Amino acid sequence: MCTLKVTGIGKYFSETILFKDISFALNSGDVVAITGWNGSGKSTMLRILAGLVRPSAGLVEMFCDNKSIPKKSRRQYVGMVAPALSLYDELTAIENMEFFCRVRGIAYDRKSCFNILERVDLVKHAEKICRTFSSGMKQRLKLVQALIHNPPFLLLDEPGCNLDSRGIKSVKNIISDQRTCGITVIASNEKREVDYADSIINLSN
Amino acid sequence: MHPTKSGRWITQTVSSTYLTEAVAIWLRDLRSEFRTRYAVNSILMFALTTLVAVSFSIGSFRIEESERPFLYAVLLWIILVFSALSGLSRSFVKEQEAGTMDILKLSARPQAVFLGKLFFNLTMLGALELIIVPAFILLMEYKIRFPGCFAAMMVTGGIGLGAGTTLVAAMIAQADARGALFSALSFPLLLPLIITAIKGSERAAYGISAAGWPEVKIAAAYAVIMITVSLLLFPLIWEE
Repeated sequence: MCTLKVTGIGKYFSETILFKDISFALNSGDVVAITGWNGSGKSTMLRILAGLVRPSAGLVEMFCDNKSIPKKSRRQYVGMVAPALSLYDELTAIENMEFFCRVRGIAYDRKSCFNILERVDLVKHAEKICRTFSSGMKQRLKLVQALIHNPPFLLLDEPGCNLDSRGIKSVKNIISDQRTCGITVIASNEKREVDYADSIINLSN
Repeated sequence: MHPTKSGRWITQTVSSTYLTEAVAIWLRDLRSEFRTRYAVNSILMFALTTLVAVSFSIGSFRIEESERPFLYAVLLWIILVFSALSGLSRSFVKEQEAGTMDILKLSARPQAVFLGKLFFNLTMLGALELIIVPAFILLMEYKIRFPGCFAAMMVTGGIGLGAGTTLVAAMIAQADARGALFSALSFPLLLPLIITAIKGSERAAYGISAAGWPEVKIAAAYAVIMITVSLLLFPLIWEE
């Protein structure tokens, strides 16, 4: 059982207030969508939740099995996909997977990685350098990277961007599967993606 | 890892230490470098160009025999330091420019990232020294009376140089005026090491009885202090 508790967070740049006083709490199985106009702070909110950016005000707390997760350990519990997160272009898909397995302390098994790539329709391209990938193929590999350590907190910033119909179906499956084992936060204005969520936080309000 | 019916997979975690994470980052950097050859080309081209320029313009005849140990030590370390700075400054900048900085922050502990980058920079420096130092000795007819002491100076000086450049490279990665900042920060940080390394190399060449070793010890202490301080400070630099 995991909980994400956000209390009064805000982000300010000089005198510009991106958002302020946002509070919510989520438990395992919850899916929430963060919506808002361009520049309203959706991606920044996800980066704050992931621990990549410090909020100007407020507190983000994560709990698993009633134990608080310290900020320095948060990376083990968070999986994130975002347009601004890039994979290593000069490595192949399988080498990217190998790297993320090894750096996250996951037992690397080449055959299993090929099986995972098959599920996202990338097995034919496993040995190709990622620089040659289309944006949709890169997005699929980003999804694999975000899920490789089975994170209880899944943060998806425009998860369906550049994906074809099969990729979009994969995203839907990933979100429905996450309901059984954790929390999903989606930042998007795409109606299809917002519809996956149980509740909506609109940063434009 | 085993995929489940709905597309997720069950992962088997193994114990992850700073060292295993650092080695993963080091190997990935080596693999990337092997394909792009950015740092290798930059460092080697600078080193070879300056070495050839020095050997043609000064050679082994224009300097008095008694002044050679000192002047050759100065020239050798100038070549090594500026060659290293030309390529190693980008170890973190390339992550920033490629947009992989955040994914690395989400995947590895800060200290492991620093160690991985340090290992990579030390590999590059080691390769640079293996090529440039013998070439310099041959081209300039550099006579070294205490080769063991000289080699120890090269190793400890190289580790100190690698540690210093890695820390400065991390500090400038998120700045705007990176080039100027790198020079401004490197100068005070590396100057004590460079002076020590020049003095140690000079004494090893003169062959003053075991007199080079204090500089080796100072350079080793510099490297230990720099790595320790970097491991303590790096998380503050790495996390916004």
